[in-house]
Amino acid sequence: MQATTWQTQTQAAETVISGREVGKSFGGGSVVALEGASFDVPGGSFVSLVGPSGCGKSTLLRLIAGLIERSSGHLNVHGRPVTGPHTDVGLMFQRATLLEWRTAVENVLLPVEVLRKPTRADRERAVELLRLVGLRDFVFAFPSQLSGGMQQRVALARLLMTGADILLLDEPFGALDEFTRERLNLELMRIVAEVKATTLFVTHNIGEAIFLADQVMVMTPRPGRLARIVDVPFARPRQPELQLTPEFNALVAEVRGILGTH
Amino acid sequence: MAAIDTSLAPPTTDANLRRRRLATHLGIFLALMLTWETAARLGWTNPLFMPQPSQILNSFWVIFVGTGNVWRHLYVTLTEVFAGFIAGSVLGVGLAIIVGLNPLVRRFLQPYVIVLEATPRIAVAPLIIAALGFGFQSKIAIVMLVCFFAPFVNTLAGMLSVNRDGIELFRSIGASKWQTFRKLMLPEALPTVMAGLRLAMASALSGALVAEFISANEGMMVLIDRYTGSLNMPSAFASLLTLTALGFLIFKGMELLDEFIVFWRHESRLAAASRKRARAWEAAR
Repeated sequence: MQATTWQTQTQAAETVISGREVGKSFGGGSVVALEGASFDVPGGSFVSLVGPSGCGKSTLLRLIAGLIERSSGHLNVHGRPVTGPHTDVGLMFQRATLLEWRTAVENVLLPVEVLRKPTRADRERAVELLRLVGLRDFVFAFPSQLSGGMQQRVALARLLMTGADILLLDEPFGALDEFTRERLNLELMRIVAEVKATTLFVTHNIGEAIFLADQVMVMTPRPGRLARIVDVPFARPRQPELQLTPEFNALVAEVRGILGTH
Repeated sequence: MAAIDTSLAPPTTDANLRRRRLATHLGIFLALMLTWETAARLGWTNPLFMPQPSQILNSFWVIFVGTGNVWRHLYVTLTEVFAGFIAGSVLGVGLAIIVGLNPLVRRFLQPYVIVLEATPRIAVAPLIIAALGFGFQSKIAIVMLVCFFAPFVNTLAGMLSVNRDGIELFRSIGASKWQTFRKLMLPEALPTVMAGLRLAMASALSGALVAEFISANEGMMVLIDRYTGSLNMPSAFASLLTLTALGFLIFKGMELLDEFIVFWRHESRLAAASRKRARAWEAAR
């Protein structure tokens, strides 16, 4: 198989996800959602995918999760080709997608429950994760008793409960107000650093993409294409004031330039 | 928030206000009855069609306690209602689950469902009686037919409306098809299923009465028909009001069942449910 040569290479470089000319088209090739994207995601890094609607960023996320099948190219997670849904990754969407008839902690427990009968340790871990996302006092609340931001916190705890070391976040805070979103972004950075997860974060907000990430995949639409991968050099932990510095704004301008010229 | 909000009155929060309203309602009702009674006694109304409230009240005593006539007929009608409802809704929900899980079956069955749904159910009743005879089975079959479609259509709609994110979530955590059905699709469809069951139950009583009206020698409709035929209007009214009470009880019963089963759609139940889950969680530690 052709893939073997770069498979060994990527493992040496501690790459967790690697794609070579990954493409996806629908309707027998008539609609190209993503045109050959090549990239390597180092383990433990935070990568943002930014671009306007229709640039294929959600498609790329679903390809990595194995929820849809790629039309071309090679895509490996932990050195193994993606052939279908797999539990190396955990997903989070713009909508919290909580089960309304379950309490917060029962929702968090769901990923374990489908695999085995939850042990006492599992149950304690679920409560602990709710604490980690700041919902200590809402362990037994039902989703409809929680605000939109709190529901996303539950979804994040559920995502961490999967034990997946790769987190795929599709505009997770996109439906929330600006203030809530900023606060949750800061907490997200703290939490993924704490659990040492590799994170892919889809957004259409350039500032947010840069502020959170070590690398920004800049994507352009029609057809969806990975235009460039931009490195973000700022040290961690990062404070919100970073977004006011000239260096930060220069990077925003650079990404905006890439998006504008396509 | 129920799937179908059938309450007519705006919600009242103040208990005091509620008590005052109840008093007003009671006052108006008594005044109305008094006017009616007086009008009848003065000979302003035809006693043949409009019996006096006091006579109706007396008839209640007669049919429930005196002769006890009503019980047998009430029993027959109730049996038809519940047997028909259970048979019809089990069939409706069950078939909808099978159809909902099989796109192929769905595609081939759809035209028949549309044709059957467009057919007025009551018009089929004489045909059912012709096929099954005048007995009990034909009444139950008619109620069953009346009760089939709402649960069927609602269950199917509920199962097909499960959001894509939910399905993707279950796929990504490695859930089996059965787990996805049991833990996601079924509970998510429950509020719509319950709305269908409530609709079915609401029409079950009418279905049973129509079936009895066509041909029967027992049941509440037979009783009303006999009283009217013998110009015993007070007893006919008392029987009618018995059905009103029955209809109300059925409605309330279904409402309670809905609050119990799809508690998460009833804000008033959430706090208690949350406490109960917390206790169960602690107990399991």
